[in-house]
Amino acid sequence: MLMPSKVKYRKQQRGRMRGKAWRGSSLSFGDYGLKAIEPGWITARQIEASRVAIMRFIKRGGKLWIRVFPDKPVTKKPAETRMGKGKGAPEFWVAVVKPGRILFEMEGVNEADAREALRLASHKLCVKTQFVGRSAGH
Amino acid sequence: MVDPLTIEATQREEFGKNAARRLRAAGRIPAVVYGGDAPPVALSLEPRKLAPLLHSEASRNTVFTLVIGGKAPARVMLRDWQVEPVHGALLHVDLVRVTKDTKVRVRVPIHVTGEAKGVKVQGGIFEFVLREVEVECLPEAIPESVTIDVTDLVIGRTLRVSDLPLSPEVKLLTDPSRVVAHVVALKAEEKPAAEAEVAEAAPTEPEVIRKGKTEESAEEADKSEKKEAKKGSEK
Repeated sequence: MLMPSKVKYRKQQRGRMRGKAWRGSSLSFGDYGLKAIEPGWITARQIEASRVAIMRFIKRGGKLWIRVFPDKPVTKKPAETRMGKGKGAPEFWVAVVKPGRILFEMEGVNEADAREALRLASHKLCVKTQFVGRSAGH
Repeated sequence: MVDPLTIEATQREEFGKNAARRLRAAGRIPAVVYGGDAPPVALSLEPRKLAPLLHSEASRNTVFTLVIGGKAPARVMLRDWQVEPVHGALLHVDLVRVTKDTKVRVRVPIHVTGEAKGVKVQGGIFEFVLREVEVECLPEAIPESVTIDVTDLVIGRTLRVSDLPLSPEVKLLTDPSRVVAHVVALKAEEKPAAEAEVAEAAPTEPEVIRKGKTEESAEEADKSEKKEAKKGSEK
């Protein structure tokens, strides 16, 4: 699963997800992509599950780019612990996604296969998504 | 690529984001035209008229006529534009004046035709690395696109910018050695089970960057930071 190899601080505050993704909102590498249309935290597990779903569907041929990286640690307190005694331990990693962000890009497959692969991937994610393409009409 | 398209615009007197938002709410968008010998002019225009130009990569270099307030038509082309990231609505456009005898720098899309032998016969993956190329030419000579046949492309062979068929009127500005497309061999995707298990068992925490401190001292530093924070909150 994706996670940073080195970090400056082990824990982070939660933050807010205001506004839209003005960066990373257009296709840069592939012909087709999956765009988030609502904000959310996408976990490293969800990204991996989506990647596996796409690669299993396209079998061979085709290239995939993952345009988000889970670099935000999320902490959790152990079960049945009283409140207080400090912040919990880092539990998993998430990518902060704002509306408009391209999550995945694909190339080397036809549009129908790309649509189906990205549809399967979208079911593994916690945000609403939209299929986008380079050609006219998307 | 000269088009008989004419777009009417009005000069804009109000500036700033509030005025721009009011303009967008009224169904128009802010724009600016510059270049040539005339000073820059702030405009407002209807985005629907520009939509066909932005619909495909090939039509983005179209030269068209801009009429400001019903007078002084000028030949212009799109230089830059901003779109809303979620729905793709046009927010602002930059137009540049062009003259028949002045060369312009434009980005021309590259189109590929045919199926590469490296994909069809050898089972590789076709990678389209560079999708547009920068050229300099007269407005009349702007190519709609550069088309190249990739049928003979096999694994290990690379198609470079210097291989693109360009007319002599067009001067290439992109580095000729840059890769346009190539076919790469397919990598084995599925990891062996043992490797997958190792990946699962990998540590869940990354290394924390600390200058000249060992792990123990780092933990102590963490504790002292917490104490200080507590003291601060008590005060």
